[in-house]
Amino acid sequence: MIDLGLGRWVELAGIEPRARWTARLAIFTTLALGLSSVLVWRLVDLQLIQGPAYSRLALVNRVHRIPLVAERGVIYDRHGVQLVINQPAWSLDLTTSALPSDDAARATELAEVAQLAALSRTELTVRLDQDTDAYRPFSVKSGLTDVQAQTANERLPSLPGVTLQRTAVRRYLDPELFSHLLGYVGPINAQEFKTLGPKGYLPDEVVGQAGLEAGLEDVLRGTDGWEDVLTDANGQVVKVLDKQAPIPGRSVYLSIDSGLQKSVHDTLVAGLTKAGSKAGASVVVDPRTGEVMAMVSYPSYDDNLFANGISQADYQKLLNDPARPLFDRAIAGEYPPGSTFKMITGAAALQEGKITGSTILDCPANLTFGAWTYWDWAHYDLGLMNVVKALPTSCDTFFYQVANLVGPDAMAAYARDFGYGAVPGIELPGAAAGVAPTPAYKLQVCPYPTGSPDCNWNVGDTVTMGIGQSYVLATPLIQAMYAAALGNGGTLLRPTLVHEVTDGAGKVLQHSSPITVRQVPVDPQNLELLRTGMHQSLTGNWGTAAIARSLGFKWDGGCKTGTAQFGGSGVNLPSQAWFIDFAPYVDPEFASATILEDAGFGEFTAEPVAVQFMNYYHDHSAQIHSGD
Amino acid sequence: MLLVLGLMTVFSASTADFRRQLLSLVLAVGAYALAAAVDYRRLERLILPAYGFCLLLLLAVHFAGNAALGAQRWISIAGFPLEPSELSKVIMLLVLARHFAVRPGRERELRTVVEAIALAVPPLVLILTQPDLGTAMVFAALLAGMLFLGGSSRLHLVGLGAICAIAAPILPHLLHGYQKQRLEIFLNPMSDPLGAGYNLLQARIAVGSGGLLGHGWLHGLQGSLGFVPERATDFIFAVYAEQFGLIGSAVLIGVFTALMLRLCWSASVAPDRFGYLLCSGVAVMLCFQVVENIGMNVGLTPIAGIPLPLISYGGSALVANLAALGAVQSVMLRRRLLVYRQASDDAYLLNESGTVRLDPGLKSPLSA
Repeated sequence: MIDLGLGRWVELAGIEPRARWTARLAIFTTLALGLSSVLVWRLVDLQLIQGPAYSRLALVNRVHRIPLVAERGVIYDRHGVQLVINQPAWSLDLTTSALPSDDAARATELAEVAQLAALSRTELTVRLDQDTDAYRPFSVKSGLTDVQAQTANERLPSLPGVTLQRTAVRRYLDPELFSHLLGYVGPINAQEFKTLGPKGYLPDEVVGQAGLEAGLEDVLRGTDGWEDVLTDANGQVVKVLDKQAPIPGRSVYLSIDSGLQKSVHDTLVAGLTKAGSKAGASVVVDPRTGEVMAMVSYPSYDDNLFANGISQADYQKLLNDPARPLFDRAIAGEYPPGSTFKMITGAAALQEGKITGSTILDCPANLTFGAWTYWDWAHYDLGLMNVVKALPTSCDTFFYQVANLVGPDAMAAYARDFGYGAVPGIELPGAAAGVAPTPAYKLQVCPYPTGSPDCNWNVGDTVTMGIGQSYVLATPLIQAMYAAALGNGGTLLRPTLVHEVTDGAGKVLQHSSPITVRQVPVDPQNLELLRTGMHQSLTGNWGTAAIARSLGFKWDGGCKTGTAQFGGSGVNLPSQAWFIDFAPYVDPEFASATILEDAGFGEFTAEPVAVQFMNYYHDHSAQIHSGD
Repeated sequence: MLLVLGLMTVFSASTADFRRQLLSLVLAVGAYALAAAVDYRRLERLILPAYGFCLLLLLAVHFAGNAALGAQRWISIAGFPLEPSELSKVIMLLVLARHFAVRPGRERELRTVVEAIALAVPPLVLILTQPDLGTAMVFAALLAGMLFLGGSSRLHLVGLGAICAIAAPILPHLLHGYQKQRLEIFLNPMSDPLGAGYNLLQARIAVGSGGLLGHGWLHGLQGSLGFVPERATDFIFAVYAEQFGLIGSAVLIGVFTALMLRLCWSASVAPDRFGYLLCSGVAVMLCFQVVENIGMNVGLTPIAGIPLPLISYGGSALVANLAALGAVQSVMLRRRLLVYRQASDDAYLLNESGTVRLDPGLKSPLSA
């Protein structure tokens, strides 16, 4: 009802107007309908026909498999003293696919990354060459210092693709004391990756490069796991879809006793200093089991330098050091054994029937064989003696004659029986074999043309071989196993550094048990003659090692000193000072070999060192073997 | 229904945006109701002042606006960010509708065409320099649509088309670097998948991975994990399509098409020319935006910053669009020819074109 001033009007009805479709409105409507159809058609194409393909692309976008690196096994001494820890650290990672696509910006960023990682531009390039997955963060540098990590962290927002990742680096707790034993891990280089890649190693992983880290790589390295994660557009993990937990590496309990190791190290260093010698090594083994209880090579190095990838400068410094600190003399240093070889000469002669315990020979100041005269160390006649007395007096002329009776091939055979000329089966890489020479060997290594008379074995080679010169070479480890075999009644054992292996839960997977390499083919009564000689070295008034008593030796056992000349032939040559021993005399539980390079007479330089750590062992043996 | 879908999608894309969008929606529904209640014919008087006010706002944006994403588009009014270019679309629509409506019989004259262009150019330039290419494109489309539907002569239309065709080659020189890049990427999207083509590719992956049924509401990963850029605004369709699949997308496009048909029908039944132009103008404006927005989401049209009407996040656009739809509703509500009878007499009144005409000779239309 409305009122327009003309009276009241009543609304009757509304008339629906007729639609007026102009041509243009119709055209527009048709166009709108057409466009809608085009959109729907396009959606059918995208979502139905190409849908599966785009779904896959979407997965590539969002789901990434992240490797979970297994924690490396920890190494302990035999009583559980931890020798290495996996220290949490920051690693600077780079995801190359996230770098700026602009070349200049990319170069600028890489230059800054190199600076943050304290790498040269070339080193970074070499490192990145190993990056096989552009979509996965690749560790450019692990073990950043706190300052480096902090600096990097501040720069992260302006460096796309660069992330800091929590990782673990190996930290060796007593680097100088254990560096040769434990060795170190280091980043895999391109060449190593070729062989390690198929075994499941990641290109930015570390791998044992030296020492037990390398020798026990398969034990220490766990099994890597993985995680399929959903990430958002910024690469942040939103959700873990599936996961395979890594299995950490196994824990290794070494046969080494830390206390004994330290004692051996300290006394060796003191002895070297006193003797004015720059290098030496000592190996202590258990003659009942073959377990190595201490093993020191001096000089040593800091293996922590290697754990995060050593700098070129540090590495050159170590390589150029004339004392060769990286060289593990205990297992790889091959030295003429000198008089310590005489038990082998004696064993060969006794066993081959060339002499008996009662064969008496003179010990003159010198002897002439062929055109050459060979002197005894004493330069005067020590009188008549049997083999039992020839060992403690260390009469050279006695053994010249014996060696001449036995011949080089038989001596070499017995030397091999005692472990010479074969790499001991220890868990360390790089152990040397030493040499048990024969005429054939001389011919083989002869630097002169074939047929030269200088390449033929001569009697001089034979007689000097009898006193551990000539071409005979042995490492301290071989010598220690040889001393152990003399002590334990002729059983050559395989040396081992591993006392026990446990899994992550502490379950013992492997416990060391003695492995016999061979029973040395020397009759017990003959061996006993040699052992008696070694015993008298310590106890007899005339023994070369009788000095032990004045050094306060608390124990009882057998030993042999050695003073091996090197650097040519003749007199007044420099000499390597040896001392090998076992203790106690009955049922020995200790055997060792010690060498001091260029340190004069074994009894004056090597023996005091051994006596001190033997005393340490004697005082602590219950402790050392507790829990065996 | 569109509004609900829009809200759901905005919600799935961003919860924070959702709350503000809900607030905007309340305002927008108010604007709709107001526009529908007011007789659209009364708007005619308000149009010129509104046009002036709109130009002032756009100028204000230039001098006092807030920059975002490399462009200055917003001004704050009482703490609410306002995007005048969105409102200016609707005002431009009204201006053009009035312009063509007040000249009955003169729509074919060249003068009308030139005046229409003259009216459109100032706001267009102001918007283009914000820069807001998307809205400027809507303006251009609106102008073209109104010229076409407003009844300009074929000769003039062809002439204008020719001028545009000649001017087209110089367009790239006027575009900003990123706008040129968008065009290049549109022509070859795979040329730089991690750089400039990233948005396009990711949006397409989102749409494609939706498949027939979609991942379900709130389960679109591309969208929720941030791979789809501008997921509450320009690329909201991709987020929607990922969640609801082909069926959902077809439904959405179907609803838009229905809306479009309804707008065209409204135009066809509008009781006067202004109403007709108003309805068809709204149809042109929404149609262009929908096609361009969905088109760019599925890689059919170049990327331009145009939101999906009624769906995308953005208060100003929602209010402006609903106000425009309200105006159409106002036309619809007044489309009927009302027949009155004087209580005492047998005379009839018709209301048409806003005037009440006494027509004593008229037979009852009901009996006719």
